[in-house]
Amino acid sequence: MIKNVPYKYRDYSHIAAEASLAAGDQGKYWEMHDLLLAPGARLDREGLVQMAAKLGLDVKRFAADLDGMKHKDLIERDKALAVSIDLYETPTYFINGRKVVGNRDFDYLKKVIDEELAGAKR
Amino acid sequence: MRSGSVRGRRCGVLSLRTSSVLPAVRAAESSPPRHPSAGLRLIVLLLVLMIGGTTASAAGLEALPAVPVPANNPQTPEKIELGRTLFFDRRLSGDGTTSCASCHNPEQGFGDGQAISLSYPTTRNWRNAQTLFNVAYQQRLFHDGRAASLEEQALFPLMSAFEMNQNLDFVEEELRSVPEYVAMFTGAFGSPDVTRERIAMALAAFERTLVSREAPLDRFLAGDEQALSAAARAGYALFTGKGRCSSCHAGGNLADDGFHALNVPESPEFERDPRVAATRRFVAKVSGFEEYRTLAEDPGRYLVTKDKRDWKAFRTPTLREIARTAPYMHNGIFATLEEVIAFVDRGGGEGNTALRPLGLTGGEREALRTFLVEGLTGPEPAVRFPKIP
Repeated sequence: MIKNVPYKYRDYSHIAAEASLAAGDQGKYWEMHDLLLAPGARLDREGLVQMAAKLGLDVKRFAADLDGMKHKDLIERDKALAVSIDLYETPTYFINGRKVVGNRDFDYLKKVIDEELAGAKR
Repeated sequence: MRSGSVRGRRCGVLSLRTSSVLPAVRAAESSPPRHPSAGLRLIVLLLVLMIGGTTASAAGLEALPAVPVPANNPQTPEKIELGRTLFFDRRLSGDGTTSCASCHNPEQGFGDGQAISLSYPTTRNWRNAQTLFNVAYQQRLFHDGRAASLEEQALFPLMSAFEMNQNLDFVEEELRSVPEYVAMFTGAFGSPDVTRERIAMALAAFERTLVSREAPLDRFLAGDEQALSAAARAGYALFTGKGRCSSCHAGGNLADDGFHALNVPESPEFERDPRVAATRRFVAKVSGFEEYRTLAEDPGRYLVTKDKRDWKAFRTPTLREIARTAPYMHNGIFATLEEVIAFVDRGGGEGNTALRPLGLTGGEREALRTFLVEGLTGPEPAVRFPKIP
């Protein structure tokens, strides 16, 4: 399951979320996702359209979806969901409902998972 | 709520922002850092006095006194409640994503459980988020002691470019626009004005309620020998004896409010991360450190005093609730208490003169750890989460 929480103070965060969903409509969500997160990715409209072309998408349809903000309502619902569960930091993990904020190493996450498993068995 | 694959990210390119600048770091000191040898002399004296006596207040440990409260900021229920609400309010950060509790999380020992503290988006912090347990007892705040009161300390993180990155003029207006806050400020201060000074006073009042004083050690010091297990008592004896821990971790709060250069290793991760370098250079720059652009390590207290004896010296932290507040040291370099004890046992970092090797056995190191975990951990803090207006 994918939810979008574009950061409100980044110029291209919202349009990048739109781009990923527009690419998903054409079966290339993860391919677009990888391009968006590649180092040096150009995330303005022109850069996103170039990515769509690179992925072999129907560029005209893709651009129309971007310009029409086709997925705006879905993204806004995702953002409201994030606020409702007090999700603000990246990364945030929910492990059996337990919130873990920030970069964590393997040992830390293992400890949390083990604690939750032990709790579930009781 | 059970898990989710909620995938959030802050994607996009860097955009120019107006950054707050840390206020000039005050170099003035009300008293010089206490030298470790002063603590040692005190301990020797106390040990002489306690021969044949009881364990209570042995070797520099004593019952925790009442919370000190400044005369110009008395504790009131209304002010504490306002401070509690502000503490959890993300409005206090520039982008509305971070509250004080983000890095001082009650569920993580009032720290954030990370080696270095959470940071404002696209930046990185350079020091560990300290616990707020018993912060009321500290005479100086921050790892380098640059603030002399909680009231002075409270606004630093709000303004810091790599922490909450908020503008104080703006946040005053932001809070003034919320009727519930106006009512709370009126209740706490007698008039509706929302000022940065009042914000700091309320936060300080709330922080003075975060006290650990019901740990097994407290009962032990009150005369209940059975409050500590046999292993923890052995650790206590080492703590106040061979381990010399109470030379610095003394008094009711297990801290001497001094600054000591243990030469804690720099984090290799920091050397690789240009964002940490930017933060280090920025802090050094606003602290008046001339060679800030080539600075490759954390000068600690030196940035405040410019006294070379303070190079890489950091404030002695409280050890209360230490089991809840990993990782350890100013840069979180040690993930476990075992690592910290091993570091102290081998005499600290290279070239330091504050510590010397202790020669502890494996059993002694474990006994010390047992004391720290069992003896200094009190009941789970019962912090009530406020409704944010």
